[in-house]
Amino acid sequence: MNPHPARQASPVPAAGSPAARTRAWLADNLTDRLRTDRAHDTPATLSELIGFEKALHEAGFAGITWPKAYGGHGLGLREHLEINREIGRAPVPNSVNSIGKELAGPIILAVGNDRQKESFLPAILTMKHIWCQGFSEPGAGSDLAALRTRAQRSQDGWRINGQKIWTSGASKSQRCLLLARTGTADERHKGLVLFAVPMDLPGIDVREITSIDGQRSFCEVFFNDVIVSDADMLGAPDEGWAAATRVLSIERATNRMYRSWRFQSELEHLIAACRTDARARSIMQPYARQLAQVRIEVEILKGLVETLVERLIAGEEIGPNGSFPKLYWSEAHQRFARIGLEIVAQFPPGVDGPLPDLRARMQDIYLSSRAETIYAGTTEIQLDIIAKRILNLKRAA
Amino acid sequence: MHDELDPKEFEDTARAVIETCANAGDTATRGRLLAEAGLLGVMAPEAVGGMDLPIRFGVPIVSAAGAGLLAFPLIESILLARHLALVDPDLAGAIAAGQTIATIAWTGDAGAGTVGGAPMGAGAAQVLVFLADGGAGLVQPGAGVAVRPGGALDIDAPDCALDLSGANPRPVLDARAVAALRADAAILRAGFIMGSAAQCLTLAAGYAQERVQFGKPLSAYQVLRHRLSRDALAVETLRAGLTRALSEPAEGVAMAREAVWLSAARIGPEVAESAIQIFGGMGFTWEVPLHRHLRQMHTQAANGAAMAGLDALAADLFAATDNEWYGDLANAG
Repeated sequence: MNPHPARQASPVPAAGSPAARTRAWLADNLTDRLRTDRAHDTPATLSELIGFEKALHEAGFAGITWPKAYGGHGLGLREHLEINREIGRAPVPNSVNSIGKELAGPIILAVGNDRQKESFLPAILTMKHIWCQGFSEPGAGSDLAALRTRAQRSQDGWRINGQKIWTSGASKSQRCLLLARTGTADERHKGLVLFAVPMDLPGIDVREITSIDGQRSFCEVFFNDVIVSDADMLGAPDEGWAAATRVLSIERATNRMYRSWRFQSELEHLIAACRTDARARSIMQPYARQLAQVRIEVEILKGLVETLVERLIAGEEIGPNGSFPKLYWSEAHQRFARIGLEIVAQFPPGVDGPLPDLRARMQDIYLSSRAETIYAGTTEIQLDIIAKRILNLKRAA
Repeated sequence: MHDELDPKEFEDTARAVIETCANAGDTATRGRLLAEAGLLGVMAPEAVGGMDLPIRFGVPIVSAAGAGLLAFPLIESILLARHLALVDPDLAGAIAAGQTIATIAWTGDAGAGTVGGAPMGAGAAQVLVFLADGGAGLVQPGAGVAVRPGGALDIDAPDCALDLSGANPRPVLDARAVAALRADAAILRAGFIMGSAAQCLTLAAGYAQERVQFGKPLSAYQVLRHRLSRDALAVETLRAGLTRALSEPAEGVAMAREAVWLSAARIGPEVAESAIQIFGGMGFTWEVPLHRHLRQMHTQAANGAAMAGLDALAADLFAATDNEWYGDLANAG
């Protein structure tokens, strides 16, 4: 057999580099309480998670590319990538404010006025304001342009009526990035308007929905004659949404940039834990080729992410290409989750050591991964985008 | 270094030359055409008449060969012109100049008496064979070396098996040099397969928009649009994987290269299979070249021993982790 080149360990980051600082900080600050690879009798509370994320930002590892004037660190996408590799390697909890940090923030940076940037952006990074996303509706999921929530001019600003659903984290949010329309539903993409709605306004009613993994993060949000001021409108009607779609195409490519490395560390956790126990090891052994395939897919995913980042750094338009990593990651991660679940499901009764924690994590990853091919544009929507906008396949002779 | 050169230009040149090669009568003529364009010696040192360029310049050339169904042992020639340059500069120079046709028997080792997987071995004057000690040596078909058809799927660069019962290979590369050659081979194969798969996608997308059934082009049907999108994703993963592997990522270039090669070996043939499905009845005839793409990609996967590579990767994965969050767990085992 040839000496296998993949055995080479990845290098330790250079001292003082953003990667080395992130790695050292996480080693000191990511406590057992917060680790997502541990089963907890009582899960970390919202205030514990907020405290951790606030500290992560203060240490320089969130808001990396945002301007310093708005609480960011003023660095580039390359540093963002470097830091996120380290966040991915570790069992760091997912952000409770990812909508604020990865969706609302970039949109506000693109279309917000100075006052909005000053008031909204630092509050996202300091975790004073958690944001939710009010886009999907019962009748407008994949077909977002079918949304019906109305924004009508009123004396005090805008009167909002309608219903949103699948609004992650609405019950713990201070602001909602709300998409509504000024006209009627048959106008499709015309007349759409974005708001930063304070969630404590009269007329807002939030109801939690239990999701497949037992969490109560999803919500329905009802808006009944909610009055929103002009000051909370992001861009003019039409203009705000047009800019937001440009931001969204970039975000699809760059959000949760740590995903490839988190995926890799989940695989490493599975293997390392199974290796501690002869029974678990023999259960894992028949999956060797499938797990090697997962490792390959992780590496390919890094290629998709990093080449898009390089193109963004070079100032290129990436347009619909963000669909590639979203589609690839969500399906590859589900395949891994299924393998992981199959392995832990065969553990004999009474396993101990690191195996109960592994079992809980793999069960959780399996269940929650079912959402990954649905949210942020389903697999079918991504395939439609590629067919239409990348392959330019015609629909008529 | 080499900043003034663009690998893309090499691909354009290669495409044009390979198109000309398709009409050339024999292997020797194709060799001369490829050599005149500098393609055979792209990675060979200048001392043997090569261009001494890194592998990122070789990949677009073999990618064009994969797309163009080139009937020439191009990957083998590029590798031999580079890796033999120190030990046998005359031969390396003759290979780079297209004067000597040479190939590599990728499967088996000389100790067993028979080697195989030698693309276009029938017309080759020199064949590199692997030795039981991990090194490699050269044999010349003819005296003591019987050449017969090998039986792999590829019909554009048909492979041969060699019976070595009467020959002692002349050792030229040690185990370390062979490992370097194999590592280069893996990334070139990935580039070759990417070019072949991308061409299958182009053919399938083109056909789907011309062929009308039930009053609409095939490309109007969502089930086929989605199939083509998945093929586009497959090709894009290879393109991005190659870009990353060739950019020398700080995180581990060996793993990046291994991943794109093993990925190409698996998904390249799948793209050809999908294209055949889209072509329908025509897809499984010799009227369209998709079967040739399918054949050559499977042959590359076999010559590179992709399944053994996957097993080796699995063994690596199960042996150790360098993630400190899980190092203590692994060491406990």
